[in-house]
Amino acid sequence: MPEPSTQVSYSRPVPEAGGAAQAAPEVVDAVFDIADLNFWYGANRALRDVSLRIGRQEITALIGPSGCGKTTFLRCLNRMNDLLPDTRIEGRLDFDGEPLYRPGVQAIEIRRRIGMVFQKPNPFPKSIYDNVAIAPKVNGMKVNLDDLVEESLSRAALWNEVKDKLKQSAFSLSGGQQQRLCIARTIAVKPEVILMDEPCSALDPLATIRIEELMTELKSDYTIVIVTHNMQQAARVSDRTAFFTVEDHPEGRSGVLVESGPTHKIFTAPSDQRTDDYITGRFG
Amino acid sequence: MTSVAERPAGRTASGLSARARAISELTGRDRAVRAVLFVAALVPTAALAFLVYEMIKQAYPAIIFNGWSFFTTKKFTMGNLYGNVVVKHGYQAAQGADFGVLPLLFGTLVSSLIALVLAVPVAVGGAILLVEKVPARLQGALGVFLELLAGIPSIVFGLWGIYTFGPLLSRTVYRWIAALGIPWLSGSTGAGEGLLTASVVLAVMIIPIVASIARELVRSVPAVSKEGAVALGLTPTETIRFVTIPYVRTGLIAAAVLGWARALGETIAVLVISGDALNIYPHSIFDPFSTMAATIAAFLDSALTDSTGMAIHALAEVGLVLLAVTFLTNLGGRLLARRFSDAGLPVGRGV
Amino acid sequence: MSLKRRLTDRIFWVVCGVAFLLIAAPSISVLVSVFHQAVPALGWQLFSHRTNAKATGLQNAILGSLILLGGVLVVAGSVGVAAGIYLAEYATGRTEKLLRFFSEILAGMPSIVIGYIAYLTLVVQFHWGYSLLAAVIALSALVLPYIVKTTEVALRQVPTAIREAGAGLGMPRTATLTRMLLPTALPGIVSGLIVALAISTGELAPLLFTAGFTDTNPKLQLLHQQVPYLTNVIYTDISLPGSRAHATAAAAGLLSLLLLVILITAGRLVARRARRQTARMSL
Repeated sequence: MPEPSTQVSYSRPVPEAGGAAQAAPEVVDAVFDIADLNFWYGANRALRDVSLRIGRQEITALIGPSGCGKTTFLRCLNRMNDLLPDTRIEGRLDFDGEPLYRPGVQAIEIRRRIGMVFQKPNPFPKSIYDNVAIAPKVNGMKVNLDDLVEESLSRAALWNEVKDKLKQSAFSLSGGQQQRLCIARTIAVKPEVILMDEPCSALDPLATIRIEELMTELKSDYTIVIVTHNMQQAARVSDRTAFFTVEDHPEGRSGVLVESGPTHKIFTAPSDQRTDDYITGRFG
Repeated sequence: MTSVAERPAGRTASGLSARARAISELTGRDRAVRAVLFVAALVPTAALAFLVYEMIKQAYPAIIFNGWSFFTTKKFTMGNLYGNVVVKHGYQAAQGADFGVLPLLFGTLVSSLIALVLAVPVAVGGAILLVEKVPARLQGALGVFLELLAGIPSIVFGLWGIYTFGPLLSRTVYRWIAALGIPWLSGSTGAGEGLLTASVVLAVMIIPIVASIARELVRSVPAVSKEGAVALGLTPTETIRFVTIPYVRTGLIAAAVLGWARALGETIAVLVISGDALNIYPHSIFDPFSTMAATIAAFLDSALTDSTGMAIHALAEVGLVLLAVTFLTNLGGRLLARRFSDAGLPVGRGV
Repeated sequence: MSLKRRLTDRIFWVVCGVAFLLIAAPSISVLVSVFHQAVPALGWQLFSHRTNAKATGLQNAILGSLILLGGVLVVAGSVGVAAGIYLAEYATGRTEKLLRFFSEILAGMPSIVIGYIAYLTLVVQFHWGYSLLAAVIALSALVLPYIVKTTEVALRQVPTAIREAGAGLGMPRTATLTRMLLPTALPGIVSGLIVALAISTGELAPLLFTAGFTDTNPKLQLLHQQVPYLTNVIYTDISLPGSRAHATAAAAGLLSLLLLVILITAGRLVARRARRQTARMSL
């Protein structure tokens, strides 16, 4: 049983033995290859020179203090930031070897291949069934929708709880169930990557554990990138960890990537003092 | 940590002050203040009761005099106000008086429904465009513009309908419609007075009302919900269909009912545009017609000269039917809104 | 993404654009045609002269409209705000539900019905004649529910913590209300009042049989004295022959719109203050 997620700890969270500890020192097969990425909101440079490789079928955790740009970075990966007015992106961001921001790349198609789960559960104001079935349907996927719904809900460990009330509104579910429904909705369109933006921050500890178990199971098929504020969570589930922080620059504050590497190494022997301070709770 | 999503949506407002109410003890002065406020709070209810009571009282002789024929007679005429007096069911009326609400009820329902059918899609489509495509810094100015439109006096709309819009329609669109030769949609298009012009002007009048509510509703859809659809690779249109519309449906129904009620009760604009055919059935959509509200306004003056008083009572009976229709519309809208909100959807915010 | 989806998306936005044009075009046409017809009558004489057959003055109608608005503010404003306070802060259970329900039903009351009853009772039965009081009461019955509603909503948006703070300091309910709740809710209440005035500005149906009309300047006399007002000028002058009368009618329409713009702008300013206040409180 992992420790409750809310515990304030000044000890160093130790990654569990198993897959997490065995990640190779360097990413061999990168889904995302990012180099010198910069991002601006208007005149404010939110990300500064971020370089990171994200490995296939691994769980990569993005950690760091508030305002360090980790969510902004995550939203660059499926072009969600396109929706915001007055933003600019520069640098290399390759997805499967292709530049993600090359003109001609369809953001809508990219977002189907790179799914996203949000901080707050945000199911559609429709039935449980529709929540999972809508996206495959509009995408014209040639599958039996009923089967796909069952398969996706099963993979999201929700099927047994909802199989008798598929026609009910998604809002009738608890927060934890809603979040698993959002995960089911995401995997129903067969993405290659799942981005998770603090998926457990609105959930209680038990629901959090279920989602974490789910992530470990999904790892065999998907690449997962997760933003988390919870050190224990990063230590428990991720193979690799990237630590972001905020730096003051003459033209304003920017998020920078301090270091990244196998979770075991980041948590036990970080190479940067700032990482060590943050992980052991001496930060801010 | 509790889940935000687990809290039942839309219930926070009434729960808010219940706790605070119980907190403080009332002093003597507090009680006096409360008593005064209570009396004020009774005023709307009292005004409603007074209006309904007076309507029934005024209409009563006509209800007895007309009987069921009020709902079967196909004309509304006050008779010869300077001629003989006839007596029926113990009540006097001018000779030749024949009061039937049917053409007026028909005119009211048809004109307001045409207006509603034209207005709602336009208002919702326009509102979606305003929210999704117009830059933030223009939003304020557009809000003012919509408010201004909603506030234009109906007499101004009436005049515009009769002098500018009606003639324009009758020269162009009406000709094309009439050329199709569909029964009810053909015949002389006239100078642009009549049922269709009144309906279109009513639509123009209620569009700003529906559009400004729709705009608030569409704006209130949480960004995080829309992002959920975008992140699945749905197009903006699909996002609107699967997230925005289900979210605002209840509120849109309420807005449509509000607009419909406005169209049902609209008096002056219809009076000016209807073509003054106060007592006949229209035979085509271009014909003159009248509504219950417009008839009351148009006949009140001359009804006063009816020495038997029956014309006044008959107008009250017309008003009573108008009240009943308005009330039923309101109730229907509420039930419809509740049916949709039973699905556990967030109840229309902003209305 | 399939061609069909891309096409559907494109078509949807075109349809929305057309819908927007269908909102904008008639509206602009209304405003332009009013302005266009009013041009011959525009000038200072609108404010310096009264309505009569020879000139294009509107002084009496302008004054009358303003007096009517003042009357609505006094009658509907005081009663409506008080009723809204009761509903938000004192009413409970079934009383609360019923009072609110009936107030909402009153909001749906067709204005001609209000005018008709006001005429039969106030003007005829009570022998008030066409008068300021009858007109103000008819208009007030029309806008009262809006004021009740906006006041109630404005008070409900005040955080419970403020009420608890008042009680925690040992303040009597009335003091909590006047010192803490009402100042916080004031911008919301005021913008509700402004909406009520905007509605009153454009109304004619409830006034047609209660206010009457006169070519002299209105007096501040409650009974037996007819009141001239702008929307009536539009209604009557348009049926008179002659371009001068028509221009006067259009000018009266334009002035109504001007009054409306002033009210809306004031409402916006107040509402913006209200939003800033709410934002401060939620920090």
